[in-house]
Parts: sequence; structure tokens; C-alpha cells
Amino acid sequence: MDFARKKYIEERLKSGNDTAVAVKSVTKRYRIHHEKTPSLKQTILKFKRTTYEEFLALDDVSFSIKHGETCGIIGPNGSGKSTLLKLMARIIQPTSGEIIVNGPLSALLELGAGFHPDLTGRENIYINAAILGMKKRDVDRKLNDIIGFSELERFIDMPVKNYSSGMYMRLGFSVAINVNPDIMLVDEVLAVGDQAFQAKCYKVIYDFMKRGKTIIIVSHDLETISDLCSKVVFLRDGKIVDMGKPLDIVSKYRAYIEELEKKRIIEQQRAERKKIFKTVIEGNRKVVSGEEISRLSNLSIGGETINRFGSGDADITDISLIDKSGRAIDYCSFGDEVKVVYKVLFKENVEDPIFGIRITDYRGNVIYGTNSRLHNMRTGVFKKNDKATVTFSFKVTLIGGEYSLSPAVGYNDNKTYCDWINNMFNLNVIHRNVAEGITDLNPEINIEKQ
Amino acid sequence: MFSAIKTLFSYRELLLSLTKKELKVKYRGSVLGFFWSLLNPILTMLVYSFVFSMVLRAGIQEFAVFLICVLLPFNFLSNSVNYGTGSIIGNSNLVNKIYFPREIIPLSVVLANLFNFLLELVALFIVLGIMGYRFYIYLYVLPIVIFIQFFLVVGMTLLVSALNVFFRDLQHLITIIMMVWFFGTPVIYPLSMVPEKYQFIMKINPMTIYAAYYRNIFYFVKYPEGAGFPSAPETLLALGITFFIFFLGYFVFKRLEPRFAEEI
Repeated sequence: MDFARKKYIEERLKSGNDTAVAVKSVTKRYRIHHEKTPSLKQTILKFKRTTYEEFLALDDVSFSIKHGETCGIIGPNGSGKSTLLKLMARIIQPTSGEIIVNGPLSALLELGAGFHPDLTGRENIYINAAILGMKKRDVDRKLNDIIGFSELERFIDMPVKNYSSGMYMRLGFSVAINVNPDIMLVDEVLAVGDQAFQAKCYKVIYDFMKRGKTIIIVSHDLETISDLCSKVVFLRDGKIVDMGKPLDIVSKYRAYIEELEKKRIIEQQRAERKKIFKTVIEGNRKVVSGEEISRLSNLSIGGETINRFGSGDADITDISLIDKSGRAIDYCSFGDEVKVVYKVLFKENVEDPIFGIRITDYRGNVIYGTNSRLHNMRTGVFKKNDKATVTFSFKVTLIGGEYSLSPAVGYNDNKTYCDWINNMFNLNVIHRNVAEGITDLNPEINIEKQ
Repeated sequence: MFSAIKTLFSYRELLLSLTKKELKVKYRGSVLGFFWSLLNPILTMLVYSFVFSMVLRAGIQEFAVFLICVLLPFNFLSNSVNYGTGSIIGNSNLVNKIYFPREIIPLSVVLANLFNFLLELVALFIVLGIMGYRFYIYLYVLPIVIFIQFFLVVGMTLLVSALNVFFRDLQHLITIIMMVWFFGTPVIYPLSMVPEKYQFIMKINPMTIYAAYYRNIFYFVKYPEGAGFPSAPETLLALGITFFIFFLGYFVFKRLEPRFAEEI
């Protein structure tokens, strides 16, 4: 620790002022010009007065962060998180209110800021470090650390325009962490490089925390936030919704996001349903044999994808998703007991028809399909104008995401169909657990240390 | 103002680093590096020499030297202003993401051009020495003139780089302004050719006065019949206007600086 720094910390302790950053009723208004660049002519002649709208990015925000705290800022897009960081970094000025920063501050708002593509990695280290406020002799001293951390020894004397984006970010990060400020602002820059490099980055951040540095992080990665932070601020529409312990605030934010997501799904579902029934009513049915369906469902004729096949001896008239208590729902959660119900109206006599459904994911991959024949059911004879209600009950074990349901009524030859409607219904599954793939096996994990 | 100098001093390493970057980027990828930058004034000199000693026959002895000793300082001004105009916008990734005094960006452009200018002067010394010019007689005046011209260049560059953030079409206008300024300064002609009644207007332009100094230092040491440094009042007027432009540029820049990040 150099002398100036030691002195500064001693002074800080003596004064008893342990606030690192104080945000005092800060308001920030942006002007959004209607015309992107007002020209000199317009301004001088007042030919056309340039009009603008005001956008309130931050509205009377106050909070403070103590030395040694790690503070996370979360919120949906456009809530003012980045504006807040930029204000703390003095890049922009508040419209009213003030921000007091005690101690040297470094802002990691962008990795490799000021890198010039034509210069080598080594040359860019010096420029970037100078921009971040590092002295040349410190860079000389730490040069090997910086290059070593970035794992770019072989490429360091190559122009950075030949770097991959991952290499570029790694070099930027390596310089940034060697600046060694007391207060560090981090904006979504932790997702750098591959898994191994990311682990290294987190270790560095933990080291910073251990050494009692103040870190302010903006991130959408809630896991990271609840892992690292000792305090979390939840912003929405430029106002603080809540702040406090990470777990409380993060779960509040999650609930808010889920609420938003539900609203979005309901809207989408409504629009989607309207669209589907429109194509079903208006679309011309193609009479084809069963073998061709899988081929034809990927075809489009005259720019319109064929959504419906079959002879027309029976019509699928309605489909819905029903929950345990019998209400029609727009989405379901993992683990829910649900029913897919569709109605069929027979136009001709059909003997022993087969009723089936197919679930596909958003890429069109078949996730699951079954029918009454596969379950060894004989359905009997349906006469003209008979109606049938077909119900498939199951427990949702799909992981979260969007799926499509296709119902079908087929003849007992197992090859031809009365009616088949592709992707008639959208099935949205909300799933909190993070997993990959298509289904959650919901394993119990047990680790025994030997 | 004093605190501004102090702040700037604390950012001297960044200023130096960005200046080096300007120079490196300029000469990167060409084997001849710096010598390419000499090519531009040499070609300009050859073209004008041909026009004025063969075609128009202005009757100026050794026109090439007459021209180049003012062309180089004028290029220092015009290159700085031309490159400086777009410098803030061109470095938007820095302005948007990192805090530092923004004047460092246009200043690094000026410093890189100053460095270039000084190298060109060294080349000029060598050529003049070979041609038998006794350029060293008034050489002690040269640093003072360059120092004062430096303030003019900094003032102009600060002014246009800040205004250009808000009025992007200034970029196009500035090329024209610099051309007018070029012909309004006795670079390709001597001031004595200008009709007496217009000379006063010409002398409001501080570059006219500095051109006279440069020409006395380098050219008239061999052809003393045209020699004569500008008078004290003329020099003071040029100084006054220079520092007016410097402070104007500085204050306009500082006034607009807080809004740079939002406007880019």
C-alpha cells in the first residue's frame, strides 16, 4: 500500500465518515430531440425550432453506500440503473440533487474503452490504463500480471483488431481490475469469456470485497447479485421501489418480473388465439393422406403455411387448457395438474376414430405426442352431428418456455385424418428452477464426502 | 483557471498517452511512417511553386522556401482544427463511459500536430542549412512565436470540437472556413502585395502577424530587402486576439462539457 493511500484511509477513519457514496435526492431529466442532430442553420435562423421531449430517468432518488459494502442495483430495462452509475462516475451531471463520492472511484462501464483496433494489445494496455487513471510506472510494474491474467501472452503484440470479442473483453477486464480503486462501479461486465475465465473474474471481485473495497454492481443476473451483494436497491421507472437485504429485494424483484411475464403471456395468448381461429375458419382445408402430413406441415403454399389437414369428416371446433378447479387458463406452472380439452363435431359417420395431441417446442421439435390408439382405447362409432369432448389430463413436467399444441382426429387406419390443426394452442410453462433441456427430472442431489 | 491547470496536470499521463496514440495510429501500417506526413507539405509546396514561379510569375525569389516557412505553421493550425472538430464525437466510447477532463481529447490532437510540426521544422532546418540560409540568426524568436501560436490553435480547436457536438454540420463548414483562412493569411503571397487599404483587415487575423514572424526568421535572412518584424502595436493586437480566442474556446468548452455525454 503506497503512502498516499494509507494516509487517505487513516484520515477516513479519523473523520468517522464511513459513507462511500451518498446520493442525495438526485433527479435526472434527459432531453430527447425529435430531430437527431439539430443543424447550425436551424439553430441560427430559428427556421424550425428543434423540439424535444423530456424523459425522467431518475426521480428524486436518495440512498447511501458505506465503505466496504457491495451494493447491487436491479430493475427492469429503462429503470435508470445505468443512468445512476453514470452519474456516480461523473460522466453526466444530475438535473438536481447531488452525489457525494468519498475516495478514488473507477467505473467499469465498458471493457476496453478506448482500445484502438490498429494498436497492439500491449500498446492498448497502456492507453486503457491511462484512461482508467493508472500511472505509467504502475502499469510497467503490473504489466506481466495484466497480460498473465488475460491469458493472451501469445497475442499481446498483435493488433487488437485481430482479437476475438472474448479476447478483447478479457484484456479489458485484466486492465480494469489492476486499477485498484477504493470504489468500483461495475455495469454488466462480469460475463466475460468462458466459464473458467468467469470463475477467475468472480474470484477477483471476492478479493476486492475481502480487502474492504466498495463495489456497486448493476446486473440482470440475480444469482450474482444475491451472491455478491450486502445490499440491493430495486429501481423502477427512475424511483427506488425498495432497498435492503439481497434475498428480500431479489425475491421482490422476481415476483415483479413474474407478474410482468404473466401479463405478457395473457396478452400474447389472446392475440394468438384470435389469429389461430381466424386461419382455421378462413383457411382452405387440404385433403391429404396421413403420410404426407409430416412433410406438408413444413411446407407453405403461396406463402401461407398449411395449418390444417384432413378429409373434413370431423372438425375440431375448440381447444382450451383447464386447471384443477376447472377454470380455463392461459399458462401453467411446472408441476401443475392440467387438462387439455378439445371439442370435435362429426360431419359424417366415422368408426373408431383416433384422438391425439402433439406438443412441439418453439423450434418445432416434437416434445411429446400420443393418441387414444396408443393407449389401447376403442372409441366406438360416431354418427353424423355427434359431438365429442376429448380430454388429456397430465402433470406438467416440461421446463419453462413456450410450447405449441396440435390436436388431431384420425381414421382407424392410423394413416389418414379427419382433421389436424397445427399449433392450434400455445402452451406457456412458467418454471422457476434453472435447468436446461426439455423436461425437468427433478432429481434429488446427494453428495457424500469421502 | 488555476485549478483547471492543476487538474490537467494530474491527468498529464493520460494526455501524453492519448497524444502518443494519435501519433502511433497515424504512422501505423506505413513503413515510411513520419516521412509520409512530410510528403503532404512537400507536394503542396511543389504545386504552388510551379504555379507561382512558372505560370503566374509572382517574381518571388526561391518561392519554395518563401512558401514552406509559413505553410508548416499554418498546417499546424488547420490540421489541428480539422482533426479536432470531430475528436469528441469520434471518441464517444470514451466520453460515454469514463470520466476525465474532456479537453484532454482535443488537446491530444493539438499536441500530436505540434509534435509533427516540430519534426517538420527540424527537416526544414536541414534543408535551409544545405541551401545556405542563416536561419539560426533569429532562431531564439521561434520558440516564443510557436508558444503563442499554440494558444491560438488550442483555443480554436477547443471551440470547434465543443460546438461540433451540438451542431454536427460544423464539420463541413470548418473545412471551408479553414480554406478561407488559408487564403486570408499571407502564405502563398507576401503581405506587401495586398492593397494598402485592405492590409489593416488582414492584420486582424493573428496568423498574418505570425506569418510575418516566421518569414523573417527563415526566409528574409537571405533576402533582407523585404525584412522587418511587425510593429509592437500590431503584435499586441495579434496577442490580444489570440488570447481572446483561447479564453473564448476554453470557456465555451467548459460550459458545454457537462452535456457532451448526453448529446453524443
